[in-house]
Amino acid sequence: MPTPDGISLSGVYKTFEGRGKTVEALRDVALKCPSASFTAVIGPSGCGKSTALRIALGLETADAGEVLINGEAPIVAAKSGKTGVAFQDSALLPWRSVRRNVEVPLEVIGLSRKSHAAQVQAMIELVGLKGFENSLPGELSGGMRQRVAIARALVTEPTVLFMDEPFGALDQILRRQMNVELQRVWQKTGSTALLVTHGIDEAIFLADRVAVMHANPGRIVEIIDVPFARPRHPDLFSDPAFHALTDRVASVLHG
Amino acid sequence: MARVPTGLRNFAILLLIWEIAGRMDLVASGALPGFSEILIRLWEDRADYPRHIWATLYASGVGFLIGNAIALIAGVAFAMSPTLLRIFRGVNIAVFALPPIAIAPILVLTLSDMAPRIVLAALAVYFVTMTATVIGISQSDNRASDLVKAYGGSRWRILWLVQLRSALPTITTGFQIAAPNAVLGAILAEFGGGGRWGLGTYLLGSLGRGEPDRLWGIGLIATAIAGLGYLFFALISRRLLGATRAVTLNTATPLGDAVSASPFKRVLMLMGIVSLPFLLWWAFIVLTGVPAMIAKTPFGVIDYLLFAKTAPVAQEKLLQALSETLPITFAGMAAGIGFAFLLAISTRLFPNAIRAFMPVALVTQTMPLVALTPLLVLIFGRGTSLTLWVTISVTFFPAFVTLAQGIALVPRSAQDLPRAYGASAWQEMRIVTIPASLPYLFAATRLTVPRALLGVMIAEWLATGRGLGNLLNQSRGYLDFGMIWTVAFVSVLLSVVLYQLVVAIERKVLRRLGMQTAE
Repeated sequence: MPTPDGISLSGVYKTFEGRGKTVEALRDVALKCPSASFTAVIGPSGCGKSTALRIALGLETADAGEVLINGEAPIVAAKSGKTGVAFQDSALLPWRSVRRNVEVPLEVIGLSRKSHAAQVQAMIELVGLKGFENSLPGELSGGMRQRVAIARALVTEPTVLFMDEPFGALDQILRRQMNVELQRVWQKTGSTALLVTHGIDEAIFLADRVAVMHANPGRIVEIIDVPFARPRHPDLFSDPAFHALTDRVASVLHG
Repeated sequence: MARVPTGLRNFAILLLIWEIAGRMDLVASGALPGFSEILIRLWEDRADYPRHIWATLYASGVGFLIGNAIALIAGVAFAMSPTLLRIFRGVNIAVFALPPIAIAPILVLTLSDMAPRIVLAALAVYFVTMTATVIGISQSDNRASDLVKAYGGSRWRILWLVQLRSALPTITTGFQIAAPNAVLGAILAEFGGGGRWGLGTYLLGSLGRGEPDRLWGIGLIATAIAGLGYLFFALISRRLLGATRAVTLNTATPLGDAVSASPFKRVLMLMGIVSLPFLLWWAFIVLTGVPAMIAKTPFGVIDYLLFAKTAPVAQEKLLQALSETLPITFAGMAAGIGFAFLLAISTRLFPNAIRAFMPVALVTQTMPLVALTPLLVLIFGRGTSLTLWVTISVTFFPAFVTLAQGIALVPRSAQDLPRAYGASAWQEMRIVTIPASLPYLFAATRLTVPRALLGVMIAEWLATGRGLGNLLNQSRGYLDFGMIWTVAFVSVLLSVVLYQLVVAIERKVLRRLGMQTAE
C-alpha cells in the first residue's frame, strides 16, 4: 500500500449564482487531514460543509484554492480508486443486490469483479452483512443499508474515505451503534477519513479533530482537538469529559 | 434568468425556418406552406370558420362537462369504495384503451345529431378526471381525516372537508389534460361520420382538394383551441392554488388491484370485472332502442363472427386486416418509444439540448396530434410510411415526457456516486440512468399502447386503405353493420389486451428487480 498523505484543502472559495442573488458557500477554507487521521466537519445546514466535501471529491470545482488527495488532484485520486465515498441516505441502487452495489466502484474504476470477489465478500463481512449478499436494498433495514454504503466505500481499499452525513437518516440509538462500528472498520483500514455531519456527539466520538463551520459565508471558525484514546468505547458517550467537549463544540458552533 | 427570451428566440427561429422552408417548397414539394401563406389563407377563409369552430367547440364543451361530471361522481364513489373500483376495473381500462375512431361509427349509427361527438368527447375526458379524482382523494392526508373523525365527523363530512379539498389540485390537473382530449374526441367523431360542420369535417373535406395552406390553417386552429382549453384550466389552477402543477399526470396507472381474498371471491370478482363492460354495451343498445339489424349486442357480434352464413368471409376479412394493422402498430410504437428512450437517457450527455427540447415536447402534449393526420398525409403520402410516422408522432412525445420526467427523479446521490469515482458519462448512464429509467419505460409503454393503435387506425381510415381502420371505413359504406360492431369490439379488445400484457410484464420484471411501479 502506498503511503497515504491525507487530504489537503487550502484557500478554497466557492460562490453559487442563484436567482438574482449570490451565495458565498465557501470563503478561504483551509483544512489539512494528516494521513490515517479522522477529521469531522460540523456546522449548521447551509454552511457549505457538503460543498467542501463535493469539491474534495471532484464533483464540484472550486472558484479558487487547491485541493490535494494524497498529493494528487481529486479526480486523479478518484479514478485510481484511492478515494472511497459514502453519501447521506446510502445512495444504493435499488435494483442491485448488496454484492452488486458494493461492486459499483470496482466497475467504475475498471477493476475486474471476478478477481476482487474475495475483497467484496470481505467488506460485506466486515460490516456484518454476511448472508445478505443477494438481498435487494428494499429488503434491508435503514441501518443495514448504511452498512452496505460503508462496505461499498471501502471496497477499493481507499487510502482516503469521505462520508457525507452517512447516518443522518438513522435514529439516535442506531446511529450510536453505527458510530462504534464505523470506528472499528476505519481502524482496520487505516485510511484518512473526512466526515461531514451535523451531530456533535457523533463528530466527537469518531474524530481526532473537529472543524467547526459557520454559514454566510461558509467558513471554518475553529478546529478543536479530541484527546480521547482509541478504541473508544460507547461508555464514552456518558463520560463527563465527553460532555465538556460537547459543550465546548456547541458553544463554538452557536457562538 | 434569461429563460423567457431564450424561449421566444427559439420560437422565432423556428417560425423563420418554417417560413423559409415553406416559401421555398422544401418539404415534400410544397406540402408545408410558409407560415405567412397559412395566415393569409386563414384570412381568406374567414367566412367558413365560425360555424366549423362553433360545432367543434359545442361538441367538445358539452362532452367535457358531461364526461367530467360523470368522472367526478365515479371518482368519488371509487375512492370511497375499493370494491366498486375493482368491479369497474374492466370498464375503466376499456374506456382508457378504446381507440375513439373505432367506436365513432357505432355512435353515429345509434345516436343522432351532435350526440356521437359529445359522447366521444365525454369518453375522452372521463378516464383522466376519474383517475385524478381517485388519486387525489386517496392521497389526502390521513391525519386530517382522523382529526375530523375524532370530532365525530361523518364519512361525507370527511370527504367534503378534507379529501375533496386536498384532491382539488390533482383534479384541476386532470381538467387541464382533459380539455385538449375533449377537442380531440370531438374531431375524431367528426372524422368518423356525418355532419356538415366541425373542424374535423372541414379537414376531411379539404384533404382531397390538395390545398396545403387551408389544411394547415385548420390544423392550427384546432391546435389553438385545444391549447387554449389547456391554458384556461392551467390559469385557473394557478390562481386557485398559487402554484404550477405538473403538466403530465400519468393516467395509465393500473388502479384497484385485487387484494387477497378467497379464491372463490376472486373468481367471482374477475367475472364481474370482465362482464360489466359487456353488460353496459348491452344496456346501451336497449336504452337507445335502435333496431337489432343495426345495433349488435355482444351476442350479435359473436353470431356474426362465428355462426352466421357470412362468418367465414367476415373472419377472413378481419384476419387480413389484423395482419396488416398489428405489425405496423408494434413497429411504430417501438420506434416512437425507442427514440424517446434514447433522447431521454442522453439528458445527462446533452443537458442543454434536452432542456431546450422539453418545452416543445410539453406543448405537443396539449395538441390533438392524431387529428392532424391529414397534414401528415400531405407530407408522407398515403403509403406505409404515413402510418409509421403518425404512430411515431403520437407515441414519441408522451413517452419522452414520461421518461425525461422520470429520469429527473433519480436521486442526486445515486448519480453522484459513480461520478465520485471518476465515471465517464457512458459509465454513469449504464450503471445508473438506464436501469433507473426502466420503470418509466414501462409507464411510457402503458400510456402509449392505445395511442399507437389509434394512430395506425386513423392513418388507415383516412389515407392508406389498409388494415382495421380501412375495414371499418369500408364497412360503413357497405352498411355491413355486423362488421362495424365487430371491428369496434376487436379494436377495443386488442387495445385492452395489449395494455394488460404490458402491465403483466411490467409487474414481473420490476418485482424481480426490486423496483416500484412508476406513477
